[in-house]
Amino acid sequence: MDWNLIFENTLKGFIGINAVYFAIAALGLNVQFGYTGLLNFGQAGFMACGAYGLGMTAHYFDISFWWGIPIGIVFSVLLGLLMGIPTLRLRADYLAIVTIASAEIIRLVVRSVKFKTYFGGSDGINGFSDSFRSLGNDFGIEEADEYGFWPFKFTGRELWTLIIGWLLVALFGFVVYKLMKSPWGRVLKAIREDEDAVKSLGKNVYSYKMQSLILGGVIGTVSGMIFALDRGSVQPDNYSRDLTFYILTALVLGGVAKVSGSIVGSMMFWGLFTFMDNFLRQVAKDPVSIGNFTIMKSTQVGQLNFILIGITLILLMVFRPQGVFGNRKEMAFDGH
Amino acid sequence: MAVQDGFGTGFLGRVVFQVKSSLRSSPLIRLFILAAAIFSVLGFALSPAQAEDSEYALRIQVKDQVRTSDGKTDNQPVPGVEVTVTDSSGLVVETGTTDAEGVLIISVPTRADYTVSLNEATLPSGEKLDSRTPAIQNVLTDSFVTKTKVITYFTGESQNVSQSGFERVAQRFSDGIRLGLILAMCSVGLSLIFGTTGLTNFAHGEMVTFGGIMAFVFNVTGLTFLGFLGFIPGIRDDGTFHIFWAAPIGIILGGGFGWALNKGIFGPLRRRGVGLVTQMVLTVGLSIALRNFFLSRFEGRTRPFADFSLQKAWDLGPINITPRDFTVSILCLIILVVTALGLRFTRLGKATRAVSDNPDLASATGIDSEKVIRLVWILGGCLAAAGGIFRGLDEQVSFDMGGRLLFLLFAGITLGGLGSAFGALVGGFVIGILVEVSSLVVPTELKTAPALVILILVLLLRPQGILGRAQRVG
Repeated sequence: MDWNLIFENTLKGFIGINAVYFAIAALGLNVQFGYTGLLNFGQAGFMACGAYGLGMTAHYFDISFWWGIPIGIVFSVLLGLLMGIPTLRLRADYLAIVTIASAEIIRLVVRSVKFKTYFGGSDGINGFSDSFRSLGNDFGIEEADEYGFWPFKFTGRELWTLIIGWLLVALFGFVVYKLMKSPWGRVLKAIREDEDAVKSLGKNVYSYKMQSLILGGVIGTVSGMIFALDRGSVQPDNYSRDLTFYILTALVLGGVAKVSGSIVGSMMFWGLFTFMDNFLRQVAKDPVSIGNFTIMKSTQVGQLNFILIGITLILLMVFRPQGVFGNRKEMAFDGH
Repeated sequence: MAVQDGFGTGFLGRVVFQVKSSLRSSPLIRLFILAAAIFSVLGFALSPAQAEDSEYALRIQVKDQVRTSDGKTDNQPVPGVEVTVTDSSGLVVETGTTDAEGVLIISVPTRADYTVSLNEATLPSGEKLDSRTPAIQNVLTDSFVTKTKVITYFTGESQNVSQSGFERVAQRFSDGIRLGLILAMCSVGLSLIFGTTGLTNFAHGEMVTFGGIMAFVFNVTGLTFLGFLGFIPGIRDDGTFHIFWAAPIGIILGGGFGWALNKGIFGPLRRRGVGLVTQMVLTVGLSIALRNFFLSRFEGRTRPFADFSLQKAWDLGPINITPRDFTVSILCLIILVVTALGLRFTRLGKATRAVSDNPDLASATGIDSEKVIRLVWILGGCLAAAGGIFRGLDEQVSFDMGGRLLFLLFAGITLGGLGSAFGALVGGFVIGILVEVSSLVVPTELKTAPALVILILVLLLRPQGILGRAQRVG
């Protein structure tokens, strides 16, 4: 067992790019779910908006990469309206159903052969991130060079994405924190606690919910952009239902209705995930079995990890629904 | 019925005992034991399935030949093309459609001669097969160099568009009725659980898969320790059961699974007064855990049941249907009618609808709502499992067969009216037909998209659904 390698990878997992885009997406989900009590089960759809916004600049529009940012944001605002208009006047479950369905349909559309001209089909889109990377060179971070010290060693390319990513996490963390302290944010929390009371105070609950859904969605879109930039490609099947579920797990792990919860939760999620993954891979180099019964082969490690994620989410919901660092009083959902 | 009883006491008895004895201990232990019981039984049962890995398959790929302006080939996959594999005696092994990559993988029992025929009517309009790859291709035993034999079709542009209007509509409609019946069956439980407890169960798709996989375990994998039952007709000495046995066993286990979920997880949470959203997020975790568990044990391939996978289709005028699919439809219909009559006329059925309508009022009139909720979980589990088995007969068994139906189930119950059992029946049925028929107009790979349109339109125009009671849902 190579503990050194496990240790190194785990530490990198804590602060790596996966934790970054999870943190941003979880912040968005937190605005909707944690602060407003909206069940958005389609965050992956918003992330796809951002990723495809960037990708389509190269694949379809053939314009400068930077246009991808406003394009992605426009996509996600439209998606937010599509999800919100039919559901936000209704009970919370309807939003969950429509968001999960919309995200799935988005994935089917972008991977379809029919719309391949626009979205690149099931192969996805490559080769849109050069301008972003060359900007790193301008700041003196050479793509191919190695930076950092053990255990935090990154190539220049990774480092550049990481720096921008963590800056964005800080930015959105600050924005969300300030917004939730503002009168606007207090209305959102009040809607979560008692919608009817807010209505009786003359607030337009529907409009506030819509703003919250769209704000969270746009933050999710930025997360999708970081995800796409890190990979240097957009793959439709990355934006599946499961992505939303894992982000939800990270959010709940850290604690809902807290900015630090989203960020710490994502870091914990990826730290633990990387640890389990590396650990189990070493354990399962040879199949583990009792008698004839194979408990685990190396090909099953990935699935076992995801089973553990599911079980973690179940246990959290049973024993600590407010998350590890959450405050029970702020526990968004289910005040009643 | 001796077999089921014998097995029932063994399997269920163990779970009952473990759950009961741990009820008084901490919730953590209770949950752990429940999970361990379900997962270990399933895991042991499925492990031989992955050990024998000697199945043969045909990989059929359909490609559109496209040349870029500089003359390079840039072949595009053609999805949604219907391909049928028949064996040397003319029996249909399997009919399927190509996926988004233009690929269809069909498992075949052994190395043998097969005939692969592509239904040219299902090619995208304007496309026709290249003359080098005729619609009917013969696969010879000797051409299986590896376990998977690849057959490639090429298409190119054609001038004359082939259309067989009425026949295509009729065929889609008959497929749609079958899908609709299966969806209706799966959604009853989802809708009733919602109606009686308020819970939207995101793990319902996995309850569907559970039924399909359990029936597969009995039918194909076999449980060797049950081989002593070989004297009973339909049970073989290696512990595999004919589908006539495996299907009811799967359905009963599905009911047991629903019961166990209620007993082990949701019942205690309700008693503790845990909120609905917390429970809903919990079902998400359950769905992740179960689906990946199925994936790790069953693996990613789709696999057919052992019986009735080879059939010659009946040619009934405009539509072709295999006796298997016809029987599946009839059985679905019978089960649905029995369920509907039971809900309509029996005391328990009436009590169920009463609790679903208004739990407080029902309790006030002396109905034991916990008992009704337990019944609903069992019934829902049975029906979901039955749906999974029928879907498996229709389309083969896979680890996410239910997860992929989940969104259609939601669309169905929303259309019918959340919480209404009859609404779920009608809604599921309508959505099934809509999805299949819509594939005449929209590309097959996007045929579920119209269900989202329906979902959104229903919520905008009539949020209570077709059969739901008009009430404040906001």
